[in-house]
Amino acid sequence: MKQLNINHRLWKSVGIVLISSSLVACAVNETATVVVDGDKATEIIETNSGVLADSLRISNTHTGYAGDLLKVQATITNDSGDHLDFRYKFKWLDKNGFEIAADGRPWTPMLISPYESKSVQAIAPDPRVNTFKILLQN
Amino acid sequence: MKTLKIFTLILITTVLAACSSGPKISYGDATAVETTTIGFGSTDLQTIAAKMVDDLISFPPIVDMTSQRRPVVFVDKIKNKTTEHIDTESITDTVQTKLLQSGKFRFVDMTAVKQIQEQMQFQMDSGMVDPAKAVAFGKQTGAEFMLYGNMSSIVKRNSDAQDVYYKFTMKLVNLETGIMEWAGEKEIRKSGEKSFF
Repeated sequence: MKQLNINHRLWKSVGIVLISSSLVACAVNETATVVVDGDKATEIIETNSGVLADSLRISNTHTGYAGDLLKVQATITNDSGDHLDFRYKFKWLDKNGFEIAADGRPWTPMLISPYESKSVQAIAPDPRVNTFKILLQN
Repeated sequence: MKTLKIFTLILITTVLAACSSGPKISYGDATAVETTTIGFGSTDLQTIAAKMVDDLISFPPIVDMTSQRRPVVFVDKIKNKTTEHIDTESITDTVQTKLLQSGKFRFVDMTAVKQIQEQMQFQMDSGMVDPAKAVAFGKQTGAEFMLYGNMSSIVKRNSDAQDVYYKFTMKLVNLETGIMEWAGEKEIRKSGEKSFF
């Protein structure tokens, strides 16, 4: 009877470990998104729950123009006591919500120390852009 | 107990099937951060191109100039002073494409001069093209500016680690006056542990 119990526990443990491993392997990267409307200067923050969204904050979003091209700056703050290694990317949209120059900008790696803030800047690829998003990925 | 055993065996089979080392081909994100080796890679190329374009089109005197007209630029080669083989034309191609798409600049393509000349010769001499509709010689626009640059690197290694520092510099020169109107620079540092396998 005791042998049966040990066997049962063993199989149960193997099952749990396997389920956990497969879930970790398939985990989707956390993404935080900031949308700023260039005309109305409204800011919408959308974040997925998760370690990255809990640790990082996007603030001090500024927009301006270089000629007729939208110029943007945002501050990324690490609210945690850990060093964070993540990637960010700008995404551009026109007033109708169409993405402009999709894949035009690469994911850019960034290292950030505990409680440190770093600014990121970019210029829109063409004059139709009036909205941008910052995507964060761990 | 039997059900649990069967369930766990199915799970093991599924996980092993998913992780099997058979030939797997998949498409990835072309803009993803690539760290396969410490050498120059797609992320470096894309980061450099984005930085150069951002710097150039937001530089105040260039903003002033391009608000009135679209200057014509000729792109020269980027001198590769690194120890690696790097296709620097690929970097200038990306920069040129982004600048063109911004609507701020126009370009003359020096890599297509021979083909253009052959096509114009064909139009003039073959007798197959209506002379009234043939493209005339001597009407092309000359470039006002030249875009060129350098790429250099410093590589350091010890028994445990390696470090690569890249410096990319790009310049815009007025061909008539010889004045450098703009220069941009991008530095990249990459470090890695040496693999023992």
